[in-house]
Amino acid sequence: MMIARIFRQIWNTATALTLAALVCAVVLVLAIGAAALLGYPPLRVADLWLHGAAGSWYSLSSSCADACPLLLTGLAAGVAFRAGVLNIGAQGQFLMGALVAVALSTRMMIFHQPALVIATALTGGALAGGIWGLIAQYLERYRAVPVVLSTILLNFVALYLVAAALQGPLQAVGTAAAQSPEIAGKYWLPLFVPYTDFHIGIILAFMLSVLLWVVQERTVFGFESHVVGLNPDTAKAMKMPVAWRQFQIMFISGGCAGLGGAIQVLGQVHFMTAHMGDYGYAGIAVALLGRLNPLGIILSAVFFGFLDTGAFRVEESSLALPHDLADVIKAVVILVMLVLAGISLRRSRRAAKSERTTSAETPSA
Amino acid sequence: MNTAPNMITFLSRQTVTAATPMILAGVGELVGELSGVINIGIEGSMLMGCIAAYTVTGVTGHGTAGLLAAMVTGMVMAVIFAAATVWGRADQIVAGTAMDLLGVGLSGMIWMMYQNWRENLGFSTALPHGSGFSPLAIPLLRDIPFVGPAFFEQYLLCYLTICLCVGVWWMLNHTRLGLIIQALGDAPEACHAAGVRVRLGRSMCLLFAGTCAGAAGAYLSIMQTHAFAADMTGGEGFVVLALVIFGRWKLPGLVGGCLFFGLINSLQQTLQTARYTSQNSVLHALTHVPFQFFQMLPYLAAIAALAVMSRNSPGPRYINIPWPSAKT
Repeated sequence: MMIARIFRQIWNTATALTLAALVCAVVLVLAIGAAALLGYPPLRVADLWLHGAAGSWYSLSSSCADACPLLLTGLAAGVAFRAGVLNIGAQGQFLMGALVAVALSTRMMIFHQPALVIATALTGGALAGGIWGLIAQYLERYRAVPVVLSTILLNFVALYLVAAALQGPLQAVGTAAAQSPEIAGKYWLPLFVPYTDFHIGIILAFMLSVLLWVVQERTVFGFESHVVGLNPDTAKAMKMPVAWRQFQIMFISGGCAGLGGAIQVLGQVHFMTAHMGDYGYAGIAVALLGRLNPLGIILSAVFFGFLDTGAFRVEESSLALPHDLADVIKAVVILVMLVLAGISLRRSRRAAKSERTTSAETPSA
Repeated sequence: MNTAPNMITFLSRQTVTAATPMILAGVGELVGELSGVINIGIEGSMLMGCIAAYTVTGVTGHGTAGLLAAMVTGMVMAVIFAAATVWGRADQIVAGTAMDLLGVGLSGMIWMMYQNWRENLGFSTALPHGSGFSPLAIPLLRDIPFVGPAFFEQYLLCYLTICLCVGVWWMLNHTRLGLIIQALGDAPEACHAAGVRVRLGRSMCLLFAGTCAGAAGAYLSIMQTHAFAADMTGGEGFVVLALVIFGRWKLPGLVGGCLFFGLINSLQQTLQTARYTSQNSVLHALTHVPFQFFQMLPYLAAIAALAVMSRNSPGPRYINIPWPSAKT
């Protein structure tokens, strides 16, 4: 019984992964075909792309380092979407997390102890992201503002807030640009392979996604939040604390994104500007490609990390193919996955509703 | 700009200029939402409209060609979105986010390739002289004090937008077509029973919305600024979404909201410069506020407006529910 269940779970995951891999392969072939149509030599593009993403230990490590923030924003979107909380604001939460982490590691270094500073910066970043997310959830619960809209609008508020801080209290000495000073080397996240980009943030993100998988699949909290996402009415009828679960999920989701921002500044870029990349928006694509499953999200984040890093190398080469092509590929992957795999929150909600009506009819029949 | 009447004239004209693209995109979005489809991705359609208008105007030298190209581009984006959501039953919110990502990525990519191409040919990437639109003043009417320049010294597209607003308002409230559109979003099963093809109808509404968003993008790039920059819409598409809710899915409310935001936007821009030159002590004290807080104002105002207005305004019942509802 138990073995059969585990086997079925593995089988389901395997089919989902095959589907995702197929979609990725087809989209990649299409993208290289598009590059060929635009007059770029397709084989050279593919070659540069592969070598840029995984041609050496160093490029492999920078792909993984790029996958790390994507994994965390992907988890942010995945956890929230699974519970029906449409948090599109991972970008703003990511920025707030990065901002607090920079403040804690360049201005307010606790006791100047590297371990303490890193721990407080990461925790502070995660808390900042979580609290930024809670604002949106508060507005939905008590002011009936749709979370979708408030999170998007809060992204822009966060962007300008970060820009103001980086030109004000956090600005580096001797520059007019919106830029923080560089974090001192001893507060960087330690590397676990020297002379590469493999920093311990990658391991942390990996462990967090395994932890979230366990919480989602093996705890009452995970089960209840899934029911809240499938059908809030059922959840309410089953006496589940719907609003409380939504607040918790939003805090976890925002916290993941904020931690992503903190890890990105402490582990990868080591200083902050207002242009930190579109990791928050890309996280939605990562989550969907991973079918909202934390373990699937690891694979899709790694895939997108390779995609991005390779695209930047192709742009830097003599071919100068714009790296925005990677964004286009992501968008197409989301659309194709939405239609093919049917990750429609509403549809599952309706399916749950029809199941409920049939199960209600069965006893009377 | 030193005296108060001049200030009013200036501000009112700036307000209308800033509100026009939002009204244009908002009318389209409103029709789409009334038919039961919410498109989070109009920001992406607007950006694609911007780049299409700019490049086509740059190559052909005709602003009209650019405007048409932007409208066609907006339609193409709408076809993709309709295929995914109306026919493919994808979740509209997530598909809309993908459309936004697509617009940002594709417009950035086209812009970079266009620059390379023009520079290799030895041309400038700026618009040819006189090819963009300039304001079209209507004689006599523009001399009305205060509000004359606001309404009668605007770009061609602004006058068209006013006509479009009146037309759509009349269509929604006084014609059978308007009733059908609202029924598509409120009672699609009734439409189905009456022999109206629900998915086709929704697709048509989305096409209209896409055309409007494309034209709004053209307004930004070849009329208001005569320039293109990556992400030049700067979240305007998202503010429009908030304003549709703010106006409670009614056209006059939407237009009022857009004008209000145009006012806030032009006020904050004026304040940013006026605080340095003004003799007024209150205004002068504002010089200590970082300018980013002024830029933040429209978004904060949008959130505040939603917090005040969105109670008890359910909107079209079938938003984000694909037709046919049950799995077949």
